Amino acid sequence: MSDVLLWAFLFTLPGLLLTALGIGKRPGAASQGGPPVIFVVALIALLTGANAELHVAGWLPFLPDGAFHLRVDPLSALMLAVVGGVSTCVYIFSLGYMDPKVEGDGNVRRFFCLLDFFVASMSILVLAGNLAVLLVGWTCVGISSFLLISFWNDKAGTLSAGMQALAANAIGDAALLVALVLVPAGCGDLVTLGSTACIAGPGGATLLALLILIAASAKSAQGPLYFWLPSAMAGPTPVSALIHAATMVAAGVYLLARTHTLIAAAPSIAATTAIIGVLTAVIGGILSLMQGNFKRGLAYSTVSQLGYMFAAVGFGAPFAAMFHLVTHASFKAMLFLTAGVVIHALHGREKLSDMGGLRKDLPGAYAAFMIGSLALIGIPMFSGAFSKDLILEAAQGHDPLPPLLWLGLFGGVFLTGMYTGRLFFGVFHGPKKYHGPIHQPAGVMLWPLVPLAIGAVLLGYLEWPVPLLSRVLGGTVGPAEAVHFPSVMGLAAGALGLVGFGIAGWRPAAQPVRATAPVAAHHDGHGDHYVEDLEPGVGWADWAAEQGYGLANAVAGVQSGHLSRYIFISVLGVAAILLLTLAGSTVGVSQTITGPR
Amino acid sequence: MNAEVLVLGTSAVLLAIGATGALIRRNPIAMLMSIELMLNAANLLLVLGARVRGNVDGQAAALIVLVLAAAEAVIGLGVALALFRDRARADIDEPSEVAG
Repeated sequence: MSDVLLWAFLFTLPGLLLTALGIGKRPGAASQGGPPVIFVVALIALLTGANAELHVAGWLPFLPDGAFHLRVDPLSALMLAVVGGVSTCVYIFSLGYMDPKVEGDGNVRRFFCLLDFFVASMSILVLAGNLAVLLVGWTCVGISSFLLISFWNDKAGTLSAGMQALAANAIGDAALLVALVLVPAGCGDLVTLGSTACIAGPGGATLLALLILIAASAKSAQGPLYFWLPSAMAGPTPVSALIHAATMVAAGVYLLARTHTLIAAAPSIAATTAIIGVLTAVIGGILSLMQGNFKRGLAYSTVSQLGYMFAAVGFGAPFAAMFHLVTHASFKAMLFLTAGVVIHALHGREKLSDMGGLRKDLPGAYAAFMIGSLALIGIPMFSGAFSKDLILEAAQGHDPLPPLLWLGLFGGVFLTGMYTGRLFFGVFHGPKKYHGPIHQPAGVMLWPLVPLAIGAVLLGYLEWPVPLLSRVLGGTVGPAEAVHFPSVMGLAAGALGLVGFGIAGWRPAAQPVRATAPVAAHHDGHGDHYVEDLEPGVGWADWAAEQGYGLANAVAGVQSGHLSRYIFISVLGVAAILLLTLAGSTVGVSQTITGPR
Repeated sequence: MNAEVLVLGTSAVLLAIGATGALIRRNPIAMLMSIELMLNAANLLLVLGARVRGNVDGQAAALIVLVLAAAEAVIGLGVALALFRDRARADIDEPSEVAG
């Protein structure tokens, strides 16, 4: 099956074509086949020892390593299983969420075509064996992310949100491009990037690892590049669940896990990764507490959880990062889809101030959100607990870094409990704030929650009591630490999270809400997207943009439109070339050509 | 002075006249004529080269340049005509506002 999995990026293309051509009675029905096939093939490949390569040399001959190189190994098969599994659920959910009667047939078809394009791009990204192929997938997922964030392009703010994502992604793409040019010939292979021969290039391992870290941070919304992810919530909720919670934003972590030997070869970059991860985990958790929008609260939670994964890579435990990626994909996708059910039920209202007391009206969503919350906080026995404890243990056992980082991650669990509780109690408990008719979800929107809920509870048992996952992954992400359960720290972290959860439920009114006035609110079927200012702390992006504009204007001045000036410059150029050519020889015709002017 | 040097000199002088014309004239028709002069200077050199080397490669290249010159003249005259229709005075620097 590994050989079949090599072509996973083609699996959604038939669906894309059929949907685009308008074949199939219900818009999007034709696309449903692709993701389950990826999921099943990836699972079979994973269980039968995934191992296949495709290597076409000379694909981009002008690059040091321009081969078309795809690789199926346990790591990529695991990631593809996550992508396939989550997208299967999201595709089914979207059949109900994107109602052709509200959106129009053509728009729903466009939506599913874009989803298909995203899954294909993501498959290329995951399968990439070298930097050149990785860059193709990396850029394509960025483009599909932009197109899907701006899907409702008639709504105020969606285009600007998409542009923010595109801008942040462009920084990451540029870093990857530089890395691609920098690596010595024959060294583009992602697995062997850290080998001695490959870090012999200019700048060595540190520069290469830094570029990889920048690319990963841009994709995973870490450090100063976090700003685009909360804005990306302007897109439809299934998109938020698939792209901006479970798969694409996890690509940064995947890349770091993939190149963990390179990160390990550059200790300063590993430390930087850990510090960025911890800071983002803590700050993301605090900012989540201040959001007035349901989805943005969840988005900051994603930023925070991705911070945990980055920290794990920085602490030298890429396996823990991948483990958390898998469990997080399941419960965060479910939380987002549940948010979709709630928003759908309230006719597109997304603000927390419109929600409250919905547990009787939406019992299915209530149960799903509760399971997702418990997994997210890391209550023992739920999946999030196993993976998060592994990260906390890695942080504790890491000597060269100050214990403050571990404390940050440990305290972050309290924040996780608090912001999760704030959303949970704010939406489902307390007084009712919306008294209009509830739009009950169709079954097609509730059934996809079931497998995700099962995953949210059970995925942790992949590693305990028998370390199945690390055994299947083999050595592809380095040695795996054993899960200790029950452990003192795990129970303490769970208790801390529960305390935060309880405080949020006990004093729901005490939560601060960031006061940003909605510029344009829409209550017409799908979503109240309001423009907000750029996230705090991204003034540097404005500054950089201004410098860029200044430079562009200066260069554009050369293009005056005066033909005679153009000719004059051309003649000067020709004269210069001639003079240079003649400098060596003794043919005396240079006088004639330099004559005019 | 043998024939080769004479042709070489003629070619150089033609190119200089053409370049000067293209630089100092503002009238599009005059500029087109100057450009034709420069192309012909190049053609002379090509034919001369073919003669000196004793093969026909240069002559073939000269034929291609002739065709190119004809094509360029067609487009150039078309643009010049459009300019004449659009404006009372055909100054090549006047429509600089169309710069991208």
